[in-house]
Amino acid sequence: MQQQRALILRGNRFLGSSLVDKGLLSMTDLELANEKFMGSIQGGEIRHASILTTLIYDLKVLDENKMIEYIVEEYELGLIDLSFIQLQSLRAINVDIDLCWATSTVPFDYVDGIYLVATCYYMSAPVIKHWKESLGGEIIWYTTSCTSMTRALEKIAETHQTEDEAEDED
Amino acid sequence: MAYSVLILDDDTDFNSLLTDIFEQADYAVTPLEDPLEAVDVFRENHFDLVVVDHRMPRMTGAEFMKVIKKIKPEVPVIMVSGYLENDTIRELISEGVRGVFLKPLNIFSLLERIAELIEEAKKYQRGNDGNTDASASSVEANNSNLRFKFESFPCKAAASIRFAERLYELRNFKSTLSVVGEPGANFRAICDDIRGFDDSHVDSFIYLTPDIFDEANTIALILKAQKSGADTVTCVLLEFAKMSNMQRALAAELAKVEGVFDNCEMALRTIFCVNGDLDTLFDSGVIDESLYILMGTAEVHAPSLNECSHDVPVIAQQLLVSIAAAKSVEVVPQLERCAIEFLLRHPLSGDYQQLVAALTSIVLAGRSDRLTAQTLKVALGEVSTSTPREGALAYLNDQRVDYTRAALKLFSGNSANVARFFGADVAKVEGVLKYKR
Repeated sequence: MQQQRALILRGNRFLGSSLVDKGLLSMTDLELANEKFMGSIQGGEIRHASILTTLIYDLKVLDENKMIEYIVEEYELGLIDLSFIQLQSLRAINVDIDLCWATSTVPFDYVDGIYLVATCYYMSAPVIKHWKESLGGEIIWYTTSCTSMTRALEKIAETHQTEDEAEDED
Repeated sequence: MAYSVLILDDDTDFNSLLTDIFEQADYAVTPLEDPLEAVDVFRENHFDLVVVDHRMPRMTGAEFMKVIKKIKPEVPVIMVSGYLENDTIRELISEGVRGVFLKPLNIFSLLERIAELIEEAKKYQRGNDGNTDASASSVEANNSNLRFKFESFPCKAAASIRFAERLYELRNFKSTLSVVGEPGANFRAICDDIRGFDDSHVDSFIYLTPDIFDEANTIALILKAQKSGADTVTCVLLEFAKMSNMQRALAAELAKVEGVFDNCEMALRTIFCVNGDLDTLFDSGVIDESLYILMGTAEVHAPSLNECSHDVPVIAQQLLVSIAAAKSVEVVPQLERCAIEFLLRHPLSGDYQQLVAALTSIVLAGRSDRLTAQTLKVALGEVSTSTPREGALAYLNDQRVDYTRAALKLFSGNSANVARFFGADVAKVEGVLKYKR
């Protein structure tokens, strides 16, 4: 849990700085978002502690499309809508869904030793580093919208729940 | 006698054009199109200046320049190119190019710059020939290409130019700014530069060190600034990592304008000056979550000496002047040409603190008003002068420093607790921690 908390802090701090550095966000807006972010962290709402959603939905100061466009062009990443993907349980690849929530990132497929991973936090170096280290294999990265990520993680959580229920019945 | 110019451009037409222009202006021109041939010709002949294209097959202009700078570093080089990124231009300037001209050329400004450069090089040469050495006068002052005043770094290196520009971009920060630098970095000078950026309103800077940073003192200083007509107060927290837990908590209140600072009627900003990056400070418990996020909102890294070797001679000369003044030593050693070359060509393994310590020992020794490369190498520990006994003592001392630093980490950076643990004086522990190999 402590490790997850540190990752959330680090991932969000770097994302904020990165957005300012790339001219997608003003520093004043980041200062405000950081305040709200710390409020969520200290209030124990870790799952909802995200600079990105605060900037996009609460403060409405970050244009998500513009950010995605930037990522696609600058880092040459593919854009993916996870609602078109047949998502599977993450347990098979030993991935903790809480870490997915914490980093808005999900490995959605594994083909011939290569992980296909979608993330909303590609501009945050600690998040990318964390996933590279924890998956340990080659990764093809995709970017996606926050809505697509939230729906995907909710869907995976439902799958996990179904699996748990089936296990209980057995 | 006409000055001689080597022109290197693989574009035959452009090469001919440049040759015509230079010959019209009474220069003796050697036009060449092949960089490898040009290196040989440069080695065997005297030239007052080199004009080189950047994009060429077999060797770029920058690569060519690096090679010839090793042969005759005193010959000025001008780069001409069809298109160059700003970063490349900065890089080229930091590598030693004395002018970059983009095509289509402004012939008049090119000829003007060339005349200036040759004249400068001749003056420099005369200084060397007269055995007076260029010394401090050749350690040119700050980069005038920046569109703002900046004095904490000479900005002759790409890293320091980037740093100056980043700091300038962040000049209007609203609440907090973190300046991260090596031990011994001149944070005060950096913050003076930040103060100099802003002429739109009256901003008062308060410098707070661990020995004076407390609630009463800080509020008194803020009120004093307010009375003197300031509409913004920027509190600079120097040596932040050395502050006690109570002082860090106060710093957090100050940065958030909360607690005792809640009633302040003017805009308050905080600059944190820290050694080591924020992640390390967070991991070692020096800063908590809240400060980590707060300090990370706007973070800028001052370049290490290693990253800006072209700045080092100027920094060293400035340090010699300030150390001599601080120690009331009348004779300020001037860097000899060989010392400048040494600093330019041998990236220092140590940090600012080590450089300051070395230069202080030189100033205090007061042996000469000329500082040679050899003296500098010995002071910086680049040349070993020790006996076996001194070597053994140095080894034991290194072990002591390692243990003390490990203990400091265990005690979350609190040197008083480390002193208690070893049963030693705090001053002694801090002395050991300051020790640089």
